[in-house]
Amino acid sequence: MISAGIDIGSLTAKCVLLSDSKILAYKVTRVKPKIEETAREVFEETLKIANVRREEVLSVFSTGYGRSRVEFADKAITEITCHAVGASFLIPSVRTVIDIGGQDSKVISVENGRVVEFVMNDKCSAGTGRFLEVMANALHLKLEELGSIAMKAEKKITISSTCTVFAESEVISYLSSGEKIEEIVAGICDAIASRIVAMATRVGVREDVVLTGGVAKNLGVKKAIEEKLGIPVKVPEEPQIVGALGAAVLASRKKNI
Amino acid sequence: MRIGYFCTFTPKELIHSAGFLPFRIFATRKPISLASAYIQSYACSQVRGALEVALSDEFHGFVFTRSCDTLMRLTDILEFLGKRVYNIEFPTKIGNVDYYVYELRDFCKTLESWGGEISFERVIESLALYRELEEKLKKLFEVRADYEIAIKVQQIDVSGAIKLVEKKIEEAKKEEKPKILVTGSVCPYPEIYEIFTKAGFAIKDDLCTGRRFFEFNYPNFEPHDLDSALRFLAEKYFSKAPCPTKHYPNDYRFDYLLRLAEDCEAVVFLLVKFCEPHFFDFPQLREKLEEMGKKVALIELEFPVASTEQIRTRVEALKEVIG
Repeated sequence: MISAGIDIGSLTAKCVLLSDSKILAYKVTRVKPKIEETAREVFEETLKIANVRREEVLSVFSTGYGRSRVEFADKAITEITCHAVGASFLIPSVRTVIDIGGQDSKVISVENGRVVEFVMNDKCSAGTGRFLEVMANALHLKLEELGSIAMKAEKKITISSTCTVFAESEVISYLSSGEKIEEIVAGICDAIASRIVAMATRVGVREDVVLTGGVAKNLGVKKAIEEKLGIPVKVPEEPQIVGALGAAVLASRKKNI
Repeated sequence: MRIGYFCTFTPKELIHSAGFLPFRIFATRKPISLASAYIQSYACSQVRGALEVALSDEFHGFVFTRSCDTLMRLTDILEFLGKRVYNIEFPTKIGNVDYYVYELRDFCKTLESWGGEISFERVIESLALYRELEEKLKKLFEVRADYEIAIKVQQIDVSGAIKLVEKKIEEAKKEEKPKILVTGSVCPYPEIYEIFTKAGFAIKDDLCTGRRFFEFNYPNFEPHDLDSALRFLAEKYFSKAPCPTKHYPNDYRFDYLLRLAEDCEAVVFLLVKFCEPHFFDFPQLREKLEEMGKKVALIELEFPVASTEQIRTRVEALKEVIG
């Protein structure tokens, strides 16, 4: 049977089509102000990629901030459960999921594919993808470049401000004082990792640790988290679609969790 | 004439019997503006929001009972601004009834100086009316927790409040859902409670905008004069649902809360940011509740609540974890 998972996040919409435990296709798009429209479009585009007709999809589950706005979904499940299920599907040995999204970040403790405990940061943009966006902008760099630039650094500049707005001023002042860009970027990755690790410690970190969400694509952040945790962190091939994948897995089981 | 009060330990019966309308002041839904001139942004938003209401609406006077430090400093600010303010020194350490009767006598004199009239008959009448309201609210909450009503009755005349609750009791239907205990200080926004019910929970609470307003153990004697009526009132408020700003013998509040949690699937601490008395108790309470096998979640609030969707995600995820 074919099932679909649609994850409407704060910045991007993701759709995964799953058939007999195999990913048929997926698509990532930008979220538009009209969430219903975004959901329909990302679903249709994924169907097109997989060359599958709508009628062939037997069950659709939605997740993410916009989950309740996906009218054609059979059920809405929170991204917390979906990330745990999606990560367990890809890496069955997972015990801790660290998801860094565009607007929030969360650490989820997982046991046999189920959520045991979770903590979320949705109050402060430091520790989320938004922090990296603001910093990339301040440095006139592309978001995607940050990771590889950070990897070139021999040492890191310490970003002391815990607030995105003040950290941006701090970065600008480092630029004015002539610090190397790669060292500033490495410092930025380190700052976001510090917030995440502080949160992860509250839940308790157990191996394997899987990093999901768009920020997981940033090698600099991954490396900084590994250094702080003192253990390796696994990143799925496409970390951004883990929530949507989890929703598709749950839809294929046709039950809640 | 409205007398604004802030805390569920306030003897609203005396305010009512003096001929005033006791009106509980909650945080506003409007952005905090006037209050920012007098109170810093790292004070809790319940107090900041309450000051905004106190400064923008018409009140004949304000009554405080000793509770958290931030609320106590609100007394000073309103006094500084030339408002009619009285602070009842409710004992932090619960126990000395004689002392509190003395305090209540002073409060009666203040109410008279504000133009009110105090008599034994009227105090008895107010005691009876509030008891009726409290018992009816208790009955309503046994069937279905209704926070819109629990909040509303704190701002209207007690006789009208009783009628309103009676009507709600007739309409209320019990729902068989897993119970969740919501504990914290105040949450004057009914839509937050709706998040829990929509996620599939039945709410049991330990909040000033719920059970703490109406749960009392009443003394076992009939008052025969004004002094014994004040004694009745003192004992009534000494044995109400407890609050972390007070010191009780032994671990009374912890035991009370753990008992409330017994038949609940999970416990949510719905805490207002910077609410020290509640946050100080949180780590130990969480530990004890987890030892009982309860799932515990912390949700921080700031008034007015800007984004309910984040709260919804946490509550729904908690429901999914429980299964």
